[in-house]
Amino acid sequence: MAKNEKTLEDSFEELENIISKLEDSDTNLDDSFKLYNQGVQLLKICNDSIDKIEKKIILLNENGESDEL
Amino acid sequence: MDKVYSVTQINLYIKDMFIRDYALNNIYIKGEVSNCKYHTSGHIYFTLKDEKGQMAAVMFAGQRSGLKFRLEEGQSVIVLGSISVYERDGKYQLYAREILLDGSGVLYQKFEELKRNLEGEGLFSKEYKKTIPMYPKKIGIVTARTGAAIQDIINIISRRNPYIQLILYPALVQGEGAAKSIVKGIGILDKMELDTIIVGRGGGSIEDLWAFNEEIVARAIFDCHTPIISAVGHETDTTISDFVSDLRAPTPSAAAELATNNINELYTKIYDYNVTLNHILKRKISLYRSLLEQKKLKLEHSSPIYQIRQKRQHLMDYEEKLGNLISDIIKEKRHSLAIYIEKLNGLSPIAKLNKGYALISDGENNIVNSIDKIKVEDTIKVSMLDGDILAKVEELNGRRRV
Repeated sequence: MAKNEKTLEDSFEELENIISKLEDSDTNLDDSFKLYNQGVQLLKICNDSIDKIEKKIILLNENGESDEL
Repeated sequence: MDKVYSVTQINLYIKDMFIRDYALNNIYIKGEVSNCKYHTSGHIYFTLKDEKGQMAAVMFAGQRSGLKFRLEEGQSVIVLGSISVYERDGKYQLYAREILLDGSGVLYQKFEELKRNLEGEGLFSKEYKKTIPMYPKKIGIVTARTGAAIQDIINIISRRNPYIQLILYPALVQGEGAAKSIVKGIGILDKMELDTIIVGRGGGSIEDLWAFNEEIVARAIFDCHTPIISAVGHETDTTISDFVSDLRAPTPSAAAELATNNINELYTKIYDYNVTLNHILKRKISLYRSLLEQKKLKLEHSSPIYQIRQKRQHLMDYEEKLGNLISDIIKEKRHSLAIYIEKLNGLSPIAKLNKGYALISDGENNIVNSIDKIKVEDTIKVSMLDGDILAKVEELNGRRRV
């Protein structure tokens, strides 16, 4: 996996954080909107990061070169 | 002949020598079974032999748990036990505690030894276990190209999440070269930046599964940077690979389950997050809206227009109260007046004229109710109910009547 890519785990953790901040009554409306926007962005990232292409199994040969099955 | 010993003494002495020998008290001896007799007492008597020699052996009934198969003539076995002397016959013999079929016996020993060594090195320690990613995109598999294991894995993973890329390294999983092939597969897949690697095979005999007990496989699993799930044989089979891997799956199918998340659950999770976010923000907005409403109300209350309106309202209230009060008073007074009129009616002099009384007035229509208000020769008017009499006063005689 590419190291700079945000993993779903990370995104979900961030979402949890955002939600708990949003739930906090001390968070003002301005910040709430910012947080909400971040959350929506994250959801989009989550959705986009699910590569919705059905994969065929890649079969390697003995030396690790690939042939699609 | 300084000293002469009895046979029993010597036999005891020799027995003592055997007992003192640590090695002889806990020893594995391999050989072929012959003269095997299951005695009615539950003891088993047999002879262990090889090409050049033989040894008497016994397994007492109390040790029978160390024997998992029926001992028979000609079997190659490994016997764990102690060698001691049977004093009565002056013979030494093997007292068996555990008997294993050779082959599996050797393997078992090797297994135990390797397990001990690797455990001692810390290869099984929890601190080295990597977490299996919950949302993998690419999963490598090291197993045989054909067979139930790979089919089960493909079926389960593509059902749970068809978007996961599977990469199979077709390895030899049994027989000559299997361990090397597995090691090579792990090495190749480890360089492919995968999320997880499943290493395993379907069920089989201990010999079939043996590659997964080889040290090079164990070390390859330990050295692999990608998290590895081991999936060897059935639930009851445990291999060295299982101890050293990051997660042990009881079967290849279970490994497929453990390696993947269900895509539908993932969608549900994302959807739920969306709903939660919207819900919280809406709640927040409506909270602020109601705060705004409160402030607005407060502001309106403090505005001069409101105050004027408020005072006007007060004024109207007072007006109404005053009006009510005054009309009450008037009503009351009117009532008392009616009572007075009634009373006065009773006292009216005209009502008395009936009873022989008459009203006397002077020339200016003043009531004459005392002799002091009149003089002799004055004309007075005597009023009765049906008319007036004019008369002249002749005489005044004062008299006290009351």
